[in-house]
Amino acid sequence: MAPGARGYGALTPPSPHGVRAAVGRVLRVGVIASAALLVGGYLVGIVSDPATFGSVALERAHLSARASFPHSLAAVWGGIGRGSGEAIIVAGVLLLILTPVAGLVTSAVAFARRRDFLFSAISAAVLTVILGSFLIGWLTP
Amino acid sequence: MNIAELSLVLLGISVLAGVLGSLLGLGGGFVIVPVLTLVFHLDIRLAIGTSIVAVAATSSAGAARNVSESITNLRVATFLAMATTIGAVTGALLSGVFDARFLFGLFGVVLGLSGLQMLRKRPGRPAEEPGPASGGTIRAPLDWVTAAGGTVPSVAAMGVSRNVVAPAGGGGGLADRLALHSAYYDRAEGSEVPYVVAHTGLGLALMYMAGTVSGLLGIGSGVLKVPAMDLAMHIPMKVSTATSNLLIGLTAAASAVVYFARGDIDPLIAGPVAIGVLLGATQGSKLLLGIRSDRLRVLFVIVLLVVAAQMLWKGIG
Repeated sequence: MAPGARGYGALTPPSPHGVRAAVGRVLRVGVIASAALLVGGYLVGIVSDPATFGSVALERAHLSARASFPHSLAAVWGGIGRGSGEAIIVAGVLLLILTPVAGLVTSAVAFARRRDFLFSAISAAVLTVILGSFLIGWLTP
Repeated sequence: MNIAELSLVLLGISVLAGVLGSLLGLGGGFVIVPVLTLVFHLDIRLAIGTSIVAVAATSSAGAARNVSESITNLRVATFLAMATTIGAVTGALLSGVFDARFLFGLFGVVLGLSGLQMLRKRPGRPAEEPGPASGGTIRAPLDWVTAAGGTVPSVAAMGVSRNVVAPAGGGGGLADRLALHSAYYDRAEGSEVPYVVAHTGLGLALMYMAGTVSGLLGIGSGVLKVPAMDLAMHIPMKVSTATSNLLIGLTAAASAVVYFARGDIDPLIAGPVAIGVLLGATQGSKLLLGIRSDRLRVLFVIVLLVVAAQMLWKGIG
């Protein structure tokens, strides 16, 4: 049991150690996996696409009225298939963005397993709002 | 400057942003956006897209440790996330309705005032940060909540000698029902610090506003969330920054998809920044365990005033 939770039975049924540990574990896995994709994508890019990865990228950023890098799921998926460093980095970024959401899913499940249905429902409600905003974001680019 | 040099500079800046961000419960955008736009003359769109990625990185890397260490109050974070995420959606939908310059100016002033308020020791707040002088370990009797029978336990029962005003306005009752009160182990003090969450309803309203502002202005709202938890809900400083750290990741996720679909996240810029922030935030969350709360507060206020100045500047400029 974590030091903070020791001896406060009545005071801290709050986030039982099990829930916190599960959420912490999911966040750690997400962070490590996305870091691996970010670094790996960079290395792949330097080897396979030195023109892009070795040039003055900021020029490109200025000039491109419309982004030339992958910014749809299809483009990311296709890019990974072709071994594009950029696409692998974007996948790492997306995984990073989704990691807190994965933590939320975990806490919804973990609270439910401890029969704390109120907090399971609250987690699910937050999840619904976030997924709703994903949908809004996707439909109105 | 070629991409390798650029990446190294970006990496260095992002490590700094990650350390400060995870220590203070902020996204680090206050470091990253000015550097990218003013120093590198990057398009503001890409700078904001990059800073959203930095928020996600700070949040996940910081919370990965702090949730397990129970510095983060997971229940408070989950409950308040309802307000911040709905606020973020509201803000995104309302964007363009209000004059951004007026809003920047207004929130610059609000931030400045909250910073000054945070510097003052609130009268009647529980001694969350007993200095070396008061020294004593706060030991709560095991049954102090059950004995109070669902009402806010009197802080006198916690062995805190200072005069404490009981939370007014019914927020305490809600916090009881939701079992939001908790305790964390403070390494700087070498003791467990129990705390009572106050004014839950007010906190929820402030979080909704913080979320709306972040959606409207595209800024990380940690600067508003930490003062709301610290000043209104009487949550200890370390718990406030750690809980804000988890919250900003959820709020950022809600809007990051929009930035991604719009093509505002450039992998060659966001990639090195994300790596740097992950490294920095991992270190920052380690530092949070050991730092003294009063020093953390001063550091937070300094950064808060910097952010307030940035916003006022945007309001005027």
